[in-house]
Amino acid sequence: MTAVSTIHAIALCARQELVLAYRSRWTQTFAVAFAVLALAVAVSGYVLSGGSGVQDFSRTAASLVQLVILLVPLTALLLGVLTLASDRGNAELLFSQPVSRAAILLGRVLGLYQALISAQAIGFGAAGLVIYSQAGEDGVTGFLVVIAAAFVLTGVCLGLAAVIAAGNIGRRRSRALAVALVVWLVLVVLADLAALGAASLLRSGAASRLLITAAIVNPVGAVRTAALLLIDGTAAFGSASLALLRFSGGPLRAGLLLAASLVLWLVLPFWAASRRLSRADI
Amino acid sequence: MIAFRGFRKQFGTHVAVADLTLEIGRGETLALLGPNGSGKTTSLKAAAGLITPTAGEVLLGEPGRSAHAPSARQAVSYLPQRVTFPDTLTGRDVIEFYRRLRGSPASRTDEVLRVASLNGAAGRAVGTYSGGMTQRLGLAVAVLPNAPVFLLDEPTAALDPDGLAAFYSTVERHAAEGRTVLFTSHQLGDVERLADRFAVLVAGRLVALLTQRELHDSLAQRGLMRVRAAGHLEDAVGRLRSIAPDSHLEADEIVVPGPPSLRPAALEALRDAGVEIRGLTAEEGRLDRFYRELVGDSA
Repeated sequence: MTAVSTIHAIALCARQELVLAYRSRWTQTFAVAFAVLALAVAVSGYVLSGGSGVQDFSRTAASLVQLVILLVPLTALLLGVLTLASDRGNAELLFSQPVSRAAILLGRVLGLYQALISAQAIGFGAAGLVIYSQAGEDGVTGFLVVIAAAFVLTGVCLGLAAVIAAGNIGRRRSRALAVALVVWLVLVVLADLAALGAASLLRSGAASRLLITAAIVNPVGAVRTAALLLIDGTAAFGSASLALLRFSGGPLRAGLLLAASLVLWLVLPFWAASRRLSRADI
Repeated sequence: MIAFRGFRKQFGTHVAVADLTLEIGRGETLALLGPNGSGKTTSLKAAAGLITPTAGEVLLGEPGRSAHAPSARQAVSYLPQRVTFPDTLTGRDVIEFYRRLRGSPASRTDEVLRVASLNGAAGRAVGTYSGGMTQRLGLAVAVLPNAPVFLLDEPTAALDPDGLAAFYSTVERHAAEGRTVLFTSHQLGDVERLADRFAVLVAGRLVALLTQRELHDSLAQRGLMRVRAAGHLEDAVGRLRSIAPDSHLEADEIVVPGPPSLRPAALEALRDAGVEIRGLTAEEGRLDRFYRELVGDSA
């Protein structure tokens, strides 16, 4: 009987979760759906503007940001909750092992993260190959920025899924899924609407401060603003992002603010989830 | 090896276990009995580090360390009541994962798969397993690390006769090797066959703690002899009461409660009283009746 190191235990849990995710029809469906949608974005933009064929990377990237903002949080939250809110019998066996709950959680989240970004990479890769073959490599950096944005957003949303799952022990998984849907709706739709609605009732200065706060605090808004900033798509900026740019005094400072927000969003949910899990009765 | 010291667990206002103090020593097998909702699983989960006590403590090993500490759980193997595994993993995948997590040698995989006797299904997805096969796989995971403490929550509930035989021989071998076994069960056959001691919980409270010897004595005391006889039976019963105080008459039968050792003397006394003995039957004390006596209306 030998104790395994925490790092080894994390790696084992990650590997196990990766295997499970690869065998899951949900992950496979997500990879295919993502590739189809990314290609559809590349084609439809050109068709809608009267052309035929495929848009180049830079145009596709700006359109893909919206797809990423909608689809990535939804899939990461739902698949995260489905995976991390284990059956009771499985959780009891797993958490009775001589490994800390935080290590098991971290391993599982990392494995799932790897599976989801692999599925996204397949989707983006398939679309990227078609765009490259039809329109060349012009603007490929922006396309890579969107991929990076998707990866960051996946990490943030898996952290939130871990918090939801840790609070759902002993309850039905459907409850956790419902909470995940509500979180998605708030992050992607309601937060922006609420900020804009409240800002319209305030005076200019206060409204700007509110919009800036909303752009930084909401991780989905932060990823969108950062991605558009990096691919030079300020034309697509909303009022909150423009207010942030004005307030921070330039793209570099705005970028740093957004990066700081996203680092916190990557760390804090996982910290909260492991704290919640360590106190939970399983 | 396992020590519950004033262990109390409360879920909201519901007290699942109240002030349980119980020690299970090295090499001992203790059965935890009680009706549904009596706190058996909660106690076992606390020993597996899955539940934090509201008050008191649960210690593992020598010297005792809190069961909540991952290092203390190195000494423990726990089999949950309704163990489940991810559907898409094969039986072998499951064993391999837990073997690596426990740092057991690679040779253990095939050894424990033999224990599970999955009839060649080790390479099949767990989602295709029956309840009994899943339970056997859970047992295989539990025996993987050769841990000194075995915690088993209703381990025989879903087992067929072959699985039951494999389970009994596994637990008996572990006990013979000096491991500590704490298990819950509703199967009184498990208790008679495996346990050195048994504890009965009712509504979260320990109401009885007996050794196998004390159990046998208690059951013996609950045996009785029925003697069909003719003659002056009331006089005979009166004389019999000096040997067996609870003797009484039921129609033409004299009922003599008490252990088998009492019976020859009782028969001798009846003959001395001039009674003609026409037949007799003996009933031994039964564990199920004794159990009902202990748990009362909760059963």
